Amino acid sequence: MVRAVDRCGFGPRRRPARFAALLFTLLAAPAAAESTLPRVMSLNVCTDQLVLALAEPGQILSLSALADDPDLSFHSAIAAAYPKNRGLAEEVFLARPDIVVTGTYSLHNTTQLLRHIGTRVETFDYAQTLESVPGAVRRMGAILGREARAETIAEAYEAELAALSSPPAADAAAAIIYEQNGVVLGSGTLADSVLKAAGFRNLAAERGYEGMVPYPLELLVRDRPDLVLLASPFPGAPSLADQLVEHPAIASLKSLRRKGIAPRGSWSCAGPFTLEAVRALKALREEMAAGGEG
Amino acid sequence: MNALRLSGLLILLVLMLFIGSLLIGPAALDPIAGMKGLFAGGEEAAIIIMREVRLPRALLGLIVGFSLGIAGAALQGFLRNPLAEPGLIGVSATASLGAVAIFYSGLAGSSMLALPAGALAGALVAVLIILAIAAGNTTTLTLILAGVALSSLSGALTSLALNLSPNPFASYEIIFWLLGSMKDRSMVHVWLSLPLMAAGWALILASSRALDALTFGEATAASLGTNLPRARLSIVCGVALAVGAGTAVTGAIGFIGLVVPHLIRPLTDRMPSSLLMPSGLGGAALLLAADIAARIVVPSRELNVGVLTALIGAPFFLWLVARTRREAI
Repeated sequence: MVRAVDRCGFGPRRRPARFAALLFTLLAAPAAAESTLPRVMSLNVCTDQLVLALAEPGQILSLSALADDPDLSFHSAIAAAYPKNRGLAEEVFLARPDIVVTGTYSLHNTTQLLRHIGTRVETFDYAQTLESVPGAVRRMGAILGREARAETIAEAYEAELAALSSPPAADAAAAIIYEQNGVVLGSGTLADSVLKAAGFRNLAAERGYEGMVPYPLELLVRDRPDLVLLASPFPGAPSLADQLVEHPAIASLKSLRRKGIAPRGSWSCAGPFTLEAVRALKALREEMAAGGEG
Repeated sequence: MNALRLSGLLILLVLMLFIGSLLIGPAALDPIAGMKGLFAGGEEAAIIIMREVRLPRALLGLIVGFSLGIAGAALQGFLRNPLAEPGLIGVSATASLGAVAIFYSGLAGSSMLALPAGALAGALVAVLIILAIAAGNTTTLTLILAGVALSSLSGALTSLALNLSPNPFASYEIIFWLLGSMKDRSMVHVWLSLPLMAAGWALILASSRALDALTFGEATAASLGTNLPRARLSIVCGVALAVGAGTAVTGAIGFIGLVVPHLIRPLTDRMPSSLLMPSGLGGAALLLAADIAARIVVPSRELNVGVLTALIGAPFFLWLVARTRREAI
């Protein structure tokens, strides 16, 4: 599920971070090493994930408000302990971090303003795939002064991806990710690379759809993919966009229809945890193959 | 033109556009396979596309267009104002608001019934407010101005309610509720709205005699024995049912009720009663045609049908205003 990243959250709550930093200073012996590490503020839910995986707890000044949303943020449970920001330049100015990390396209004006006032801002590309993860991990590691940890994580990821990956054969099962409003995830998306690593053909990509684009319902019916991955509706607040996945035309398809196969938040941002989505989809494909032949 | 001949021609036009609507779609089914899928069966994909995707869309074009056309003709006759249309007395906008308020709040779970229930509640509120303002024999101008105020307020509140929804997709649906669409609707939407619309048509058609009497003015109509309060109630309720139920499933589609009666009127004897059925049919034809255009103007990206009806209707509206002013001078 991919959602707008500009939703408002809570204002900065600084106390827990200071407390955590204090606790860390008191408990951890190599306090000197920690103080040399740059203090970071992340303004984007995807950079939040990398920061949480790599940084020392004391380094993190604040994360984006979306870091608390389990549908977007795989590490939301760990993120709960840190203060949150709304991506405002004022917040950055008050917190005075050594480095700000954010996405290329999110809050573009804020990025310009921060650079103008002399803050070091590192942006990470929004166009992510499974292949872009190790590079992003190593780059974030270098930014945070945590190169060794980044190298360990990146190498483990590369080995695991290579072991897990099973590129689809020409006659492999075709899948489509059909989200709210009939939007599909075509070529170039993270989900596309996850489907392919799990051994599915991505129907939308094969039909020439790129990125997140609407896919006509009629074509979905005509092409009859083997698997339709539907978005789970937003809890508690209905929308017409969510209702489309309940359309009778989809219900009468003979294709396998599934919701919530990938663990929550595992493929909204690319990170080492995105392998969980590959693993879940691969298990589903193997189950389908066993069911189809049996 | 002879009334029977006019109706015959309009029915033929509606039938052609209805079939045209069934044959157009991104799946590019050949017409024979499509019609076979619709009536006889055959290939699974063709059956589903025809019965679950294209048929509900064509049916909604037919019945919602008919509702808007007949409601426009009734209002122009009733208010004796060439600028009147269903949106004008605030029914469309308030119906949208009602549907939005009940559906997006999650009060009814995610039940589809929330849509017509909310829209009819909204339309009913609009009717009650309009009736309260119109009580005591106010002029038709007061009624129109009250409707304009109600429309603006409802439009603003609809946008506000959608912006406040925690569902991130809700705010993108503002355009659906303000500039309707018939994309990816299902038979559920047809069954939800058709009975209510049919009741509205019956109420409007039942007051056709009163509409004729009203052409001579309210005082003369009363002296001719027309029960004015009853006629007013039955027309406003009829319009509320027809337009409210349509808005619940397609969002607010404007200007059909304005344009169609003007195009049809020169072809009739100019009595409001003989304008009702032809305007309904004309409305159905115009909405079906606009919906076909919405699908083929930009092949890869579908437009909202309300955008097209506004593109046709708004210049027409300006032309009518200019002409009305000239005639007044």
